[in-house]
Amino acid sequence: MSITRRQLIQGVGAFAGAAALGQNAYSQTNPLNVGFVLIGPVGDFGWSTMHDRGRRRMEEVLGPAVRSTQVESVAPPDFDRVVNQLARNGARLIFTTSFSYFQPTVRVAPTLPNVFFENATGTSTLPNLSIYNSRFYEGRYVQGVIAARKSRSKQIGYIASFPVPEVIHAINTVMRGAWSVDPNMKIRVVWAGAWFNPGREAEAARALVDQGCDVLCQHTDSPAPLQVAQERRVFGFGQASDMTRFAPSAHLTSSVNNWGDYYVSRARAVIDGSWKPGDVWGGLNSGMFSLAPFTNMSPEEVAEATRIRDALAAGTLHPFEGPIVRQDGTTVIPAGQRLNDDQIRSQNYFYRGIDATMPS
Amino acid sequence: MTIAEAILLTVITAATPLLLAAIGELVVERSGVLNLGVEGMMIMGAATGIAVAILTGSSALGVLGAIAAGMALAALFAVMTLGLAVNQVASGLALTIFGLGLSGVVGARFVGVQREGIGKIDIPVLSDIPFLGRVLFEQDPFVYLSVLLVGGVWWFLNRTKAGLVLRACGENHTSAHALGYPVLRIRLVAILFGGACAGLAGAYLSLVYTPFWTSGMTAGRGWIALAIVVFASWLPWRAALGAYLFGGLTILQLHAQGFGVPVPSQLLAALPYLLTIVVLVLIMRVRQGSTAGPASLGVPFVPDR
Repeated sequence: MSITRRQLIQGVGAFAGAAALGQNAYSQTNPLNVGFVLIGPVGDFGWSTMHDRGRRRMEEVLGPAVRSTQVESVAPPDFDRVVNQLARNGARLIFTTSFSYFQPTVRVAPTLPNVFFENATGTSTLPNLSIYNSRFYEGRYVQGVIAARKSRSKQIGYIASFPVPEVIHAINTVMRGAWSVDPNMKIRVVWAGAWFNPGREAEAARALVDQGCDVLCQHTDSPAPLQVAQERRVFGFGQASDMTRFAPSAHLTSSVNNWGDYYVSRARAVIDGSWKPGDVWGGLNSGMFSLAPFTNMSPEEVAEATRIRDALAAGTLHPFEGPIVRQDGTTVIPAGQRLNDDQIRSQNYFYRGIDATMPS
Repeated sequence: MTIAEAILLTVITAATPLLLAAIGELVVERSGVLNLGVEGMMIMGAATGIAVAILTGSSALGVLGAIAAGMALAALFAVMTLGLAVNQVASGLALTIFGLGLSGVVGARFVGVQREGIGKIDIPVLSDIPFLGRVLFEQDPFVYLSVLLVGGVWWFLNRTKAGLVLRACGENHTSAHALGYPVLRIRLVAILFGGACAGLAGAYLSLVYTPFWTSGMTAGRGWIALAIVVFASWLPWRAALGAYLFGGLTILQLHAQGFGVPVPSQLLAALPYLLTIVVLVLIMRVRQGSTAGPASLGVPFVPDR
């Protein structure tokens, strides 16, 4: 069930009445009310679509034990209002599904101590705030390897959203993968300044192709960049869901998110009272995300990509091995060391060899 | 294709939806009505356009559907502001919010449907002219239409009696009424024309620019179109200039980033609005206190009996 903000407001009155009937009957009779706050529309075919799919999976598995309310396209300034409304509406578990909501969630969580919060891609926990994320960088490394094999111009185009660590370490990792095949690979980065703005994403993709990039990576949520790749006869990777159908002859692979199992386990934890703040960062081996079938690649290329993917999943290949050197030449870690999770999560620098700049 | 050609091509396509919506709103405002609902009419056009195109399999019908949807919303606005003399600013804002919501309902069934976009039309001979040929004469039909519309609106406003009467309604509706012109009927036609143009701009987004439907896909272009009308000081050719300038700024900013030029992208994103403010200030200075806008702009008209 997807509820608009207006229906939500109407619902508040009804719930105020229900609350007056007594709270103690709650656990026996009422299903757990779970709230979801989405950064984009459910139909973005990417990030928000997949959170919605996870929510549906949760409802399917837990059946009458849960009830969910979802508010889509919530701009960060509206966040507090929406979350308070959800809480007043009876939500006891709220998933805030964007990095853009991390700081707002940290701010709101202490004011609603009876609500359990879960923030996707956040970086720290609170007594009633968990964080969860997938190691998408593993997929980015595979993208880099494939891009280096497919590119003739030796230039990758990257449609970035905002200069946050999640995006920055993804760009770094794409190049790590690409350099493992060809050290001469270059990357051009364009910041769209949005997670979802199909027109702008398409414009950014066109600009990159015009500048000679022939493989596009995207960190924005709509299929528009892939459509441009198809139209301009270059290659591209899908974001968050399997986007093959948007670019049948341009699509290489997509990183496919799967939040359903996590949502089931967290809702179950609240129901049986075992919920504790956690920090889950699942990789390819966890099932939290996978790579869509490789398309438009030769059998050798598929074999190589599969080998790299499996090595990443098995942990025998790690994208953050030293030496790691910043753009300005300072060494972060020497050879033989590896960045820990906190260092990966706080990356705010490009590696040496990446010419791109970050918007200030 | 050289990079300059490529940039010009993208600038023209990026500017076209802005220009289409702006030229419609320009006519509406010249008749004395301020319709802030451009964004809402545009996105309804986008949703209806792709819905009809998918259902009928015809892009042309999709475009007609988009125009009809834009006009339907505009008619609603006309009922409120002309018929009931409701505040135009409030009605326009309501129209935008309404359009954004309703388009989500209309488009819900078509989320994720993949569709081939409307292709480009290659004008023979002319498109073989080096450099300019490819940029100007190998575009999609909307681009040609937008330029024709600008010329047509200019001709209408400045060279026809009907245009003069429309402007008279915008400058002083009481005088126009006293002279016996049907002010409300003229404004109704202008509002419907504005709706049709906004719907067309929406169709461009969902059928040509990014051929699929998602809610909220206009992403604020309706507001930029409104800014362009002010930037243009209500003159059609300047609206074209404004649209290409604003479109060009967006594209150049993306290219600058791709080339690794450190540009503050936030500043560039704000530039269209800053430019609009600067132009407004300049107009005020040159005209010593009076704006270039139609004098009756935004004032409801209730004919006395």
